[in-house]
Amino acid sequence: MSAMDRVVIELDQGWGFMEKGITKLKKILEGLDEPQFNPEDYMMLYTTIYNMCTQKPPHDYSQNLYEKYQESFNVYISSTVLPAIKEKHDVYMLNELVKRWKNHKLMQRWLSRFFHYLDRYFIARRSLPPLNEVALTCFRTLVYTEIKGEVRMAVITLIDQEREGEHIERSLLKDVLGIFVEMGMGNLDYYESDFEAPMLLDTASYYSRKASSWIVEDSCPEYMLKAEECLRREKERVSNYLHSSSEPKLLEKVQHELLTVVTNQLLEKENSGCQALLRDDKVDDLSRMFRLFSKIPRGLDPVSSMFKQHITAEGLALVKMAEDAASSKKVEKKDTAALQDQVFVRQVIELHDKFMAYVNDCFANHTLFHKALKEAFENFCNKGVAGSSSAELLATFCDNILKKGGNEKLSDEAIEETLEKVVKLLAYISDKDLFAEFYRKKLARRLLFGQSASEDHERSILSKLKQQCGGQFTSKMEGMVTDMTLAKDNQSSFEEYLTSNPHTSAGLDLTVNVLTTGFWPTYKSSDLRLPEEMVKCVEVFKEYYQTKTKHRKLTWIYSLGMCNVNGKFDAKTVEMIVTTYQAAVLLLFNSSDRWSYADIVQHSNLSDEDVFRILHSLSCAKYKILNKEPATKTISPTDVFEFNHKFTDKMRRIKIPLPPLDEKKKVIEDVDKDRRYAIDASIVRIMKSRKVLNHQQLISECVEQLSRNFKPDFKVIKKRIEDLITRDYLERDKENPNVFKYLA
Amino acid sequence: MNKLGRGHRDKVHQFVAITGASEDVALKALKASEWHLEGAFDVFYSQLQLRSKTDNRRLEELYNRYRDPYADMITADGITYLCNDLMVDPQDIVMLVLSWHMKAATMCEYSKQEFISGLQSLGIDSLEKFRDRIPYMRNELKDEHKFREIYNFSFAWAKEKGQKSLALDTAIGMWQLLFDERKWPLIEHWCQFLQVRHNKAISRDTWSQLLEFVRNVDPQLSNYDSEGAWPYLIDEFVEYLLENCIVQRG
Repeated sequence: MSAMDRVVIELDQGWGFMEKGITKLKKILEGLDEPQFNPEDYMMLYTTIYNMCTQKPPHDYSQNLYEKYQESFNVYISSTVLPAIKEKHDVYMLNELVKRWKNHKLMQRWLSRFFHYLDRYFIARRSLPPLNEVALTCFRTLVYTEIKGEVRMAVITLIDQEREGEHIERSLLKDVLGIFVEMGMGNLDYYESDFEAPMLLDTASYYSRKASSWIVEDSCPEYMLKAEECLRREKERVSNYLHSSSEPKLLEKVQHELLTVVTNQLLEKENSGCQALLRDDKVDDLSRMFRLFSKIPRGLDPVSSMFKQHITAEGLALVKMAEDAASSKKVEKKDTAALQDQVFVRQVIELHDKFMAYVNDCFANHTLFHKALKEAFENFCNKGVAGSSSAELLATFCDNILKKGGNEKLSDEAIEETLEKVVKLLAYISDKDLFAEFYRKKLARRLLFGQSASEDHERSILSKLKQQCGGQFTSKMEGMVTDMTLAKDNQSSFEEYLTSNPHTSAGLDLTVNVLTTGFWPTYKSSDLRLPEEMVKCVEVFKEYYQTKTKHRKLTWIYSLGMCNVNGKFDAKTVEMIVTTYQAAVLLLFNSSDRWSYADIVQHSNLSDEDVFRILHSLSCAKYKILNKEPATKTISPTDVFEFNHKFTDKMRRIKIPLPPLDEKKKVIEDVDKDRRYAIDASIVRIMKSRKVLNHQQLISECVEQLSRNFKPDFKVIKKRIEDLITRDYLERDKENPNVFKYLA
Repeated sequence: MNKLGRGHRDKVHQFVAITGASEDVALKALKASEWHLEGAFDVFYSQLQLRSKTDNRRLEELYNRYRDPYADMITADGITYLCNDLMVDPQDIVMLVLSWHMKAATMCEYSKQEFISGLQSLGIDSLEKFRDRIPYMRNELKDEHKFREIYNFSFAWAKEKGQKSLALDTAIGMWQLLFDERKWPLIEHWCQFLQVRHNKAISRDTWSQLLEFVRNVDPQLSNYDSEGAWPYLIDEFVEYLLENCIVQRG
């Protein structure tokens, strides 16, 4: 039928027909006994609309039909839907609401199909909302706005019930909340303002109440368990029926109430708080604490600061223990005191291992905790024990591991591991240059007296130190180790020289270590009057050395030499391994059996201090090679010494040690001197590049530059600045005496 | 000029109108005479006299009167003689001011060059004029700028030739002299402190910074900045004062 031929449908007539269809639909929705639409029904309804819209004016009823469409919804909702919902309450209301919404959607779907033609042309032409939007707006305006408050309250009540452990219908809530979401038609505005915001407020007050009572009743671990559980449940809640966008906001609220608000109370709980957990090694609880607090902003700050406090306290306790042990020991028991120091270092290493494990295991290697550990160790590691600085203690510890017969008897791997850890500890010590100097002194002794247990270990620790502190730190020490190798080569070529020059035989075997002065610590060259027996071979060596090089000067340090001396005693000959100094004194007794103290001093040309120690080692120690008159335990300048013919020992060869002088003072003096030069150089370097700089900045840059090696004292820097002013490197600015200028 | 009060500005204008001098000169003169117009005129006209030419022949005569018989310079004896003629004590601080005008290299001697050029700059070529100049020279110490210049000059002047630092005894003597002129309440404590705690020579930096300390820090030390760039000796002095409760830190 063409449009021309079509019979015009009047509005009333057409609408009456549509009404029948709508009524049928309503019956279906109400669940009444009504058959479904068949295809013909549908076609008729659709065509009716189509016809009425395509008729020529004045019979094009698009506008009317559009209005009637909307009206159908309004009527139905007002008369049937809304009352049905409003007469119920709580869960029942929610159920009704869900049912009615589903119905509404169905109605909208069907009617839209019937009225579809309007969607195609009419609404676009007039820029009107499409049919589905019209339908939704009807529902929203007439139903949603009316009941949203009551619905929200019902939902929140259910949520709180579930929180208390009751069983609720989750799918119902999911459907209800789905309505809130759908009301926005693409955005979440209605959901957020009509449901989410009030829900969050309710959540906050719910958990605030819980927190207040739990914090009082529960221990820290118990509380944390509950908090963790709550968070887990809330997360589940979201996936069960809340909109996913609510998750971060919900969790944030819960965390705020359960954790942020009570942080201090929780962590500082007397017997179960952070400190207690650390003390009692509660790894699980601490891990939980980390997990929970890492989620709230700055939440880890108090935890890490308690961690730092705890470590500092433990470290200081070790220091105190060592101090007490040292002061309670008597002066003679020097060895046990030294042992105590070594025990202290061991304990510090163990402490470090223990807390590093915490950082790795409980605190997930977080930088904040690494920092706390570092700062704590820097705090107590710089405290000395019983007059020895930590730098010295550490150097002595290394010495004990690396020398033969040291206190530590460890396997190779254990040694490597320990050295590794010691080097790590060095990072916390600010006076690294002091450590280097002590280490160097002890290394020298080990190398020169053949006390080094293993060259591999020596090189290994040097490479670790190099890695940690830079090449400049270890260059001298490496030079020393290399020197020893070169010295061996030198010695072999010296021996060749001897064999090829028979006139040079001196009756004594001489081994010489030629060392590079710059690498080794400074030693006083001694004025020892060399015994006759030794003079010739020294001369021979000098001759030999001249053949090798004419440009170097040899300075003989007899204080570092060793000697094997045969003592022809009555019972048997005993070979004695002694220092050259001791040998020099012993050899005096070849010319006479008795010597007085004064004569020994005069003849040997050694200092009183040296002679004292030497004679003590030979007459008052383990082996009495000399008899002393009077036979007291200490040496006095009036004593007389006699060769002890009767001496013997079950061994054929003995070692008579000469305890070294305490180098501590000299080391500290040397380091202070080097520091002054370093500060000078640093100031000049800074001023040269900056040209003009104020006092505060100069000092802070200087400290920064030198921090790798030591922490310079503020007063010392000031003095050096003044010294540089006097030496015309710097001057004060005329206008502002706080500012310095570089003088080229 | 903007900072002056109405009365002072008027005086400057008057001065300029009468003498024809510049505003700067007017200001200096008025300040030196504590804003008394007539006093300012005196100062101004006496300065004018400075620029008058000095008779070189008479200067030579004056020099020869005091010079050492064996060396071409004036030595300690000559200086004593000069002081007698001037009726001034050799220890009088005005001799320091005189030395400053001469740019004398070291104390107790004047080279011919120093003597003559110094007197020329002061407009002196006779003993009478010399005596007249004495009050003027004394007055110069009251000027803050000049005092500072004289103070800093005296370090190089008082120290031994060839030394970089000033011997402690000499330094203390100089300080007592200078701070008697420009009062400093802590001078005695300073000298005591040095003798008890320091006992070494004084560096140029310490010397010059002390004046800054005196000028800027009040005797109660309320505005002393311990983080500042004061020489360490001054820091130690402050510690000394606090330790001995000479000053209470508020």
